[in-house]
Amino acid sequence: MAAQKYDKIIIGAGLYGLYAARFCALRGQHVLVLEYDSAPFQRATYINQARVHMGYHYPRSLTTAVKSAGYFRRFVEDFGFCIHDRFEQIYATSDRFSWTNANQFMEFCRAADIKCEEVAASKYFKPGMCDGAFLTEEYTYDAKILQKFYEDELVQNPNVEMIFGARIEKIVRSNTAFTVQLRDGSCFEAPFVLNATYASVNQIIDRVEGIDKELFDIKYELCEIILCEPSENLKNTGITVMDGPFFSIMPFGKTGMHSLTAVTFTPHITSYDEKPAFSCQESRDKEAFMCSPESLGNCNECSNKPDSAWPYMSHLADKYLKEEYGYSYVKSLYSMKPILKSSEVDDSRPTAIRVLSREPVFISVLSGKINTVYDLDDYLQE
Amino acid sequence: MENGQKEKKFISLVVYLHNVEDYVKYFLNAVIPVCEEHFQEFEIVCVDDGCSDATIEVLKDYLEENKVRAMVNVIHMSFFHGLESAMNAGRDIAIGDFVFEFDDIFVDYDPDMILKTYEKLMEGNDIVAARSKGKVRFSSRVFYALYNSTSRTKGKIGPETFRVVSRRAINRIKSMGQYIPYRKAVYMNCGLKTATLEYESRDREARVKNKIVTSERTSLALDSFIYFTNVLERVSMILCGVFLIISVGMGVYLIIDAFNGQKLVEGWLSTMGFLALGFFGVFALLTIILKYLSVILNLIFKQQRYLIADIEKVVKR
Repeated sequence: MAAQKYDKIIIGAGLYGLYAARFCALRGQHVLVLEYDSAPFQRATYINQARVHMGYHYPRSLTTAVKSAGYFRRFVEDFGFCIHDRFEQIYATSDRFSWTNANQFMEFCRAADIKCEEVAASKYFKPGMCDGAFLTEEYTYDAKILQKFYEDELVQNPNVEMIFGARIEKIVRSNTAFTVQLRDGSCFEAPFVLNATYASVNQIIDRVEGIDKELFDIKYELCEIILCEPSENLKNTGITVMDGPFFSIMPFGKTGMHSLTAVTFTPHITSYDEKPAFSCQESRDKEAFMCSPESLGNCNECSNKPDSAWPYMSHLADKYLKEEYGYSYVKSLYSMKPILKSSEVDDSRPTAIRVLSREPVFISVLSGKINTVYDLDDYLQE
Repeated sequence: MENGQKEKKFISLVVYLHNVEDYVKYFLNAVIPVCEEHFQEFEIVCVDDGCSDATIEVLKDYLEENKVRAMVNVIHMSFFHGLESAMNAGRDIAIGDFVFEFDDIFVDYDPDMILKTYEKLMEGNDIVAARSKGKVRFSSRVFYALYNSTSRTKGKIGPETFRVVSRRAINRIKSMGQYIPYRKAVYMNCGLKTATLEYESRDREARVKNKIVTSERTSLALDSFIYFTNVLERVSMILCGVFLIISVGMGVYLIIDAFNGQKLVEGWLSTMGFLALGFFGVFALLTIILKYLSVILNLIFKQQRYLIADIEKVVKR
C-alpha cells in the first residue's frame, strides 16, 4: 500500500502531542496524529494532580522551580479558559521527616521569586504536625475542558488528521522520511516524527528501524489518583504537605472534586525495566486487553487494577488535617507514570527531549509537567 | 471480631530491626497472618537501625515471596541510633489509628496475643502492653523496683514485650511537646488509661541477647533515672542536708566554745565560722544549680533527636 504523506507525524494525543499538532497546523503544515486510545487525553494528561506547577514542589532544585514559574504565567495566559484559580493553595512543611523545613522553604521561595505568605499552621493542621504553612499562588487545570478545546480546534483544522485506536506495527527510516506502519496495514510517511507517548516512549522507540535505539533511563510506576468530595471548609482550599513521604489534596480542575495523592501510596507497583513489565500484565485476559511490556494498555480501563490505597491515603491525610477539613471518597483513577532515574536525588523533573535522528527527524519527549509544554517550540520550528 | 468480620480500624506495626537477619522471617511469619486475618487494612513500618547484615534483603525477599498485601515502609536511620530514638521515628511516621510497637522481633508469645492486646485497647485503654509471665532478669528487677519507687509520677513501669498505643495517646504525647528519651515512661505519664496483659512465655530462650543492645539498655537505664526520677536530686538534697547540719553543728560548737571562755587559738573562731557559713552557701547553691540543670535538660528534650537517611517504600511489581 502506498504511504500517505504528511509534513509531521505525531504519536500520542496527550497535551504534548496535541499542542505540537496545533502548533504546526497553525503554521500551515500537514499533520497526522496517531493515538492508541479511542479519544485524546485518556491517560496522564487527565489522570494526574492537574496542578499547574509554579515550582513550589522543587525546594531542592531551584532550576526546575525557576523554569516552572516562568512557564506558569504563559500557560495561565494561553489556557486561562481551563484553569481554576479561585482557591487558596496551602503548602506546609511537615515537622517530622521533611527534607526541607519552614525556614528553608521560605528562603527557597524568595530565591525563586514566587509568592509565599506565612499563615498559621494551626488553622489547617493538628498540633505539632507541621512547622510552617504558606499561602501560595498555584492553580489547577481541567483536562476535560482542555480536551474539548483541542478537539474543536483540531477537527476544524483541515491541516490535521487524527487516527484513534492506532496500533503501530513498526516505524522504518529511509533516506528522507520515516514510514509508520500500522497493524492494519496502512502506512504513513513524514520527514518528521514526534514521539509524545509519555509512558510508552521507550516502546515506540523500540519499534523504530534504522536508528540508534537509545531508550530513556526510566522506571515506571502505576499510580492512583483518588477523587473525593471536599467538605465545605476544604472546598476552596488546596493543601500540600512537603517535602517527603506526605500527601496533597487539592481541587481537580473545575470538577468540584479534589484529588488526593500521597507520595508513598499513589504509586502501587513499580517496574525498573527499560520497558514496563508488571505482574498485573500476566494474569489478565490477553484477548480482552492487550497490555504487555511492548505495548501498554490504558490502566484506568483495565480490569486488573490494584485495590485502591484509599485507606492508606486517607489515614495519612487525617493524621495531619484538622477534622473540619474533611472529604469523602468518590472514585479512583489509574495511570502509568514514567520517572527519569537521574532525577531522584534533587527531585527535579526536567523535560527530556531527545533527538534520535536529525534527517529525517525523530524526536522523543518526556515530561511530567503540563506547563513545560513550551519546551517543544524550539524543536517544532526547525 | 467474634463473627469473623474483619476490623475496620487501621493499624500500624512498627518493628525495630537491628542485625536480625536470622529472625526476621519467623517474626513476619507469626505476625502477618494474624493481622491479615483480622484487620482489613494495616501497614508495617520497619525501622532499619543501622543494620549491617542482610536483614533488609531478607525482609524484602519475604515480602515478595509471600505477596504481602499490606504496605511496607522501611525507615533507614542515618546511623545506629539505639532502640528508643529509632522507634520514635517509626512511631512518628506510622499513620494507623492504633500503633503496635515491637521493640524486638523475638516471638515467645502466641500471635493471638496481638489481638488480645488490641481488644483490651478497645475496652477503653489507650496504651496496652504485653509482658511475659515469670522470672525477670535480676538487673531488670532492680531497675524497675528502684525506678518505680523514685519516679516522680504515678505510673508504674515493668518489662514489656510489645505494646499498642492509640492515636489519641500519640497526639497527647506530641502536644506535651517533649522529646521522648524513654517511651515506656512517657506513655505511662501521659495521663491516659493503660493496661498490661501477661502471657505464658513459650520459649524463654528465644529472647536473644544482643551485646550492643544490652550495653545501650544499661546506659539508657542510668539516663532514665536522671530524666524521670528524682534520685539524684534527692541524693544531692540529702548531701546538702548533712553538710548543713554539720555546718550548723560547727556554729553551735563555736558559740559554746566562745562562751566557755576558754582560751582559743587566735583566729580559730573567725576561720571556722567562715568555713561553716561558706560550705552552707556552697551546698545551697549546688541545689539551685541542680534544679537549673534539670530545667535545661527538659529544654533539650524538645529538639528532634533522630536523623533518618531515607524512607523507602518496599515496592511491588
